[in-house]
Order: sequence, then C-alpha cells, then structure tokens
Amino acid sequence: MKALILVGGFGTRLRPLTLSVPKPLVDFANKPMILHQIEALKAAGVDEVVLAINYQPEVMMNFLVDFEKKLGMKITCSQETEPMGTAGPLALARDKLDDGSGEAFFVLNSDVISEYPLKEMIDFHRNHGGEATIMVTKVDEPSKYGVVVMDEKTGTVQRFVEKPQQFVGNKINAGIYLLSPKTLNRIELRPTSIEKEIFPKIAAEKQLFAMVLPGFWMDIGQPRDYNTGLRLYLDSLKQKMPKLLASGPSYIGNVIVDESAQIGEGCLIGPDVSIGQGCVIEAGVRLSRCTIMRGVRVKKHACISGSIIGWHSTIGQWARIENMTVLGEDVHVRDEIFSNGGVVLPHKEIKTSILKPEIVM
Amino acid sequence: MKALILVGGFGTRLRPLTLSVPKPLVDFANKPMILHQIEALKSAGVDEVVLAINYQPEVMMNFLVEFEQKLGIKITCSRETEPMGTAGPLALARDKLDDGSGEAFFVLNSDVISEYPLKQMIEFHHNHGGEATIMVTKVDEPSKYGVVVMDETTGAVQRFVEKPQQFVGNKINAGIYLLSPKTLDRIELRPTSIEKEIFPKIAAEQELFAMVLPGFWMDIGQPRDYNTGLRLYLQSLKQHAPARLASGSSIIGNVLVDESAHIGDGCLIGPDVSIGQGCVIESGVRLSRCTIMRGVRVKKHACVAGSIIGWHSTIGQWARIENMTVLGEDVHVRDEVFSNGGVVLPHKEIKSSILKPEIVM
Repeated sequence: MKALILVGGFGTRLRPLTLSVPKPLVDFANKPMILHQIEALKAAGVDEVVLAINYQPEVMMNFLVDFEKKLGMKITCSQETEPMGTAGPLALARDKLDDGSGEAFFVLNSDVISEYPLKEMIDFHRNHGGEATIMVTKVDEPSKYGVVVMDEKTGTVQRFVEKPQQFVGNKINAGIYLLSPKTLNRIELRPTSIEKEIFPKIAAEKQLFAMVLPGFWMDIGQPRDYNTGLRLYLDSLKQKMPKLLASGPSYIGNVIVDESAQIGEGCLIGPDVSIGQGCVIEAGVRLSRCTIMRGVRVKKHACISGSIIGWHSTIGQWARIENMTVLGEDVHVRDEIFSNGGVVLPHKEIKTSILKPEIVM
Repeated sequence: MKALILVGGFGTRLRPLTLSVPKPLVDFANKPMILHQIEALKSAGVDEVVLAINYQPEVMMNFLVEFEQKLGIKITCSRETEPMGTAGPLALARDKLDDGSGEAFFVLNSDVISEYPLKQMIEFHHNHGGEATIMVTKVDEPSKYGVVVMDETTGAVQRFVEKPQQFVGNKINAGIYLLSPKTLDRIELRPTSIEKEIFPKIAAEQELFAMVLPGFWMDIGQPRDYNTGLRLYLQSLKQHAPARLASGSSIIGNVLVDESAHIGDGCLIGPDVSIGQGCVIESGVRLSRCTIMRGVRVKKHACVAGSIIGWHSTIGQWARIENMTVLGEDVHVRDEVFSNGGVVLPHKEIKSSILKPEIVM
C-alpha cells in the first residue's frame, strides 16, 4: 500500500528550528516529525511512502535512507520544481501512487500530529465504497478554518465552507486522506488546491466521505501549536503506553525522557516536557511545558517553561527562560540570563537578558 | 608565495545574507567577498591560498574549485574543529604556510576590503628586514579600536593599546599581515589571539613594523559598514579603473552594473550602487546607496535607498525600501509596500509595510 506525505517548502513558521534542518526532520517528542507519520503508515500496512518536497531534497534523502533500513519500508522523494499546492504533488507522483491494482493510497500533511487511526480509516473507506475519505476533527473555533459540512449519519460530505461567518459545523479538514487512484485522473499537473478544486467535485458526486478523528489532532507548524501538540501527544501516550513516560519524585504529569539523557538531583520536571537524546539536566533544574532537543545541557538551578530549546544549546546556571522562547541550534545562554519570549537564531551567545519577545539574529 | 585568509565562523552579523551562503561568498560589488582578496593576493605573486574556516567547508570548497581553475591559483581549506582565534589557525596550517624556503606569507582577515597594496607591503617588509609587518590604517575614532603605537619614521611598532581612553595614536590594525615563517614557532596549537599574545612579543623584540595603508579600508562584516564600504570601493574604482563604472544619463555618481543586467527607461541610479548579474531594473526606478544582488528584479517606479537586496528577490511596483533594509535570498516585496529598515529572512513574501526596523522571520 502506498502513501504520499505533503512536505512542501521552507518551514518558515518554525524558524529558527528550520534554519538547521528541513521541517519534517525537526524533532517532536524526541523523534523527527515525519517519523511519527511514517511509523503510523507502516503500522497500517503501507510499504511505500513518497515525500512531496520542494526544498533541500539532499538533506531529506540522507536521513530517509537511515529510516528506510530501520523500518524496512521504501521511502522516495518527489521533487516539485515549483510549489504545486496541495493536489499538484499527487499528479506529479502518480506513477508511484497508482500501481494499477486499484488499491487506495493515503495522503498526509506533514505538519500534523494525531492519533492516526489509519486501520479504522481503511475499514471506513471500504464500507462506504466511495472514491475518497477525508479525516475531519472537531474544533472549538471553526470560524478560523475550512469547515467540512457532512451528513452526521452516513459521513457523506456535502460541502466545504472556508472560514464561515455563521456556524455551519465544527468539523475541519484534518489533512489526512485515503483516496482511490481514480482521484488522480481529476488532478492536472499544475499548482492545484485539493480542498478548493478537487474535493468539492468529488463531494458533488456524493463520492466523498468524512470520518471523525477520535483522539487528538494538532497542526504543529508553529512554536505555540508545537507546544500544545506536545501536551496532547503526551496525554495520549499516558493512556496508551504509560511506560514510555518518566516516573519518580522528580516528575510531575507527563514527561518523556530519552534513555541516554542524564537528570541531576533535586530537579522538578513537568508537566508536558520532552528531553532528547544525550541531554544533561544538572541539579536543581525546573522544567515545565517545554521541549529540550538532543544534546542540550541545562545548568544548575535554571528554570525553563513554555519554551523550545534547540539542539546542542546550553542554558546557564540560574537562567530563566519562559513565554515561548525558542532557541535555535547551538545557542548558549549565559548564567543568570532571563529570556521572555526571545527567538534566537542558531550559533548565538546570549549575554544579556531579553526582556520582551523579540528575534535575536 | 603563500597566504592564509582567516575566514572564521558563522557570519551572524551579516545575517540574513549568511543564512544562504557562508560569509566569504556573500557578494560585494558584484563579486564574492573573498574573491576580492584572492585576486589581490594573486597579483602580488601568491600562488597558494589557505582558508582557515570552521563552518560549511563543503559549500566553500565547491566554489573554490571554480576559482582555482579560473585564477590558476591553489586554494585549500584548513578546518578548525574549535574556534582557534586569530593566531591558532596559523599553527593549524603551518605545514602549508612554511615550505622551508623562509619566504614570508600573508595573513588576511576575510571581512576586510581595501586597496590591498600588497606588492608595496612586500618591499617594505624586505627593507626593514624584521620578522613581521602589519598594515595599519588611519581612523577618526581610534578609541573604538585597538590602536597601534608606532615610531612614525621607522615604522617600528612600540605597543598596542586596546580602546584607549586618551589619545595615543590614530592608527589601527587593518587585519593584513606579512609574516616570516619564524613567527609560526611562537604560536601554540590552541585558541590564540594574534593581537594580544603574539604581536606584543614580536614588538618587544623590535621585530614588528607597521605600514600605513594608503587608500580605503573597511570591515564590511555588518550591513551598515558593508554599505559604507561599497561607497569607498566605488570611489577607488573611479580613480583606478573608471571605465568599469556605468555612465549615461540614468547614472549619478559611482555605479557598478554587471553587463548582463537590464536597466529600463527613465531610471535614476546612484550614487554608490552595485547591480549584479542577471538583474532586471524596470523603468522609472530610483536606486541610491544600495546593493542589488544577482537575479533581483526591481519593478517599475520603485525606490530603493541605503539598503541591501538579496539574491533573486523582487521589489514590487512603487515599493519604497530604505534605511538599512536588508532582504535575504528570494524575498518578494509586494507592490506599493514600504520598508523602513526591515531585515527579512530568506524565502519570505512581504505583503504589508514594515514601518520601523524589525526582523521578519
């Protein structure tokens, strides 16, 4: 079975992290973002994944060769020479997605993390027998999104309403699709939007069905949502695989710690923290609602909350880091420094406090 | 004859330009910064240049292979695994700099542009017969720099004073040295400062002499100085090679235009402008005191002053760009947008005006 992951472009919303690696390789909960999706696809029976990208294919390919071996799956790139929108890449990769067997293929957006109930989606798709299935998720503020209006019983999609002024429904497109190869015939090889041009046509023929996503969903393409996503993800881990979470007197709530990380004495860590490979958290450190990426050292008595600390950075003794501070790769914060929402590009040293949110280049 | 160019690290002060290429490859007056220096060294008789770098050697080497062929000069990289300061790299590269012949070798700082009177420096060095020669340049505000106190008649260096409170002299280290291989014996293989640790020792032995640089000098490692440097450079070109400057009714003052660039009707360009390879300047455009890098399109009636426009960017119709705006690679400014000192990272679209200096990421 095949799948396409729409990786797209420059990942500018996740800068400064994406100044060091392409977005799919930014770690989330101690694993490259795209690996979460590739593993979910494999568990559902997919054996070949195509990545639709238009930026830094060489960097991607180096990593993917690694994953291919570990997962025993075929992973290839389909490179766009111009941005092809959300449907164009499918046409570009059609030879890889349609092997003549008529088997449906998955399409995923790379910024999304969720529970990925893909086996259930395959069952739902078979049962309705229609051309395409789209996963939808319930949100509190549908007016910010594209709302999918559907028949609640059958799941048939009636129409799409972009940012509705009045309430028409509270389900939005979750960016996970299961399509019959027939759909590829509808897509021309040009920049095309699947939501605006393709799905409405399929819906009009009553061939598009929506499945409501059970469990969490988050677009983690920008730092604030990345943080919220970590909370939801760890919540889900608590329910499904609580052994993966850290436990002990140093921990509050849901915390994931790579086995190679070292945690000193007298720390208080959590809730909603991930600590990556090779990290050193010295004694007396307080961490809450934050991501500590691979190779970071947090020195004694420091306090970090609501922030993302990029690979191989260091946080000085008694430093205080809060309010959506995002440190890029190799950023060194001196002892006793305060950062209130600083956004720091890679390879920098922070010698004076950042009193209000600003970019440090 | 050999030379070492101290290239160093991440070039963070020249971001966002250095987010696309390593600093030595950032264009200055339509040529990669480091090519200005390599060509000056070649004219002085150097046949082998070593670049001391600690960042992105692969990117550097790709370009250098090209220069090697065009210039017929050997170029190699000496890679620092940790920052080695301003003298450590010499020890690291000693086998390349000392071929046993006793011939002196040049050391240049990569951020500097100047007239490079290197042949005169070789003569001056022979005449005084001492171990080392350092080029110094006159500045108006010596208290901001490291001042070199010297005997005005002989050029013998007496001492160095860092940021002097009272006037001790107005000559500062221009970052251009000519050293006997003997000097390499003084430098240990560790992070070392040539100004603080090595030169004072040579001066104490009366073996260090200073030559006053005739002509312009500028450290162009940050955008404001880069702009000033362009003015000085073009002024110098006017004196030494005026045929290279553009002329005609559209041109005011000193302007350098690559032969492949297109300039529309009714433009007014200059003073102090460089326009790179493949640029398209549409009609009615006003450009002053700015750098337009390769592949940029400036649309009709736009006005750009005191700014740097990065490779392959576009400036919309009637857009107004001023006050040290720096656009990274592939930045697209919409029609009628105003930028007052915006600093924009690569691959961005600017759809609304930037009213005060800020970083757009």
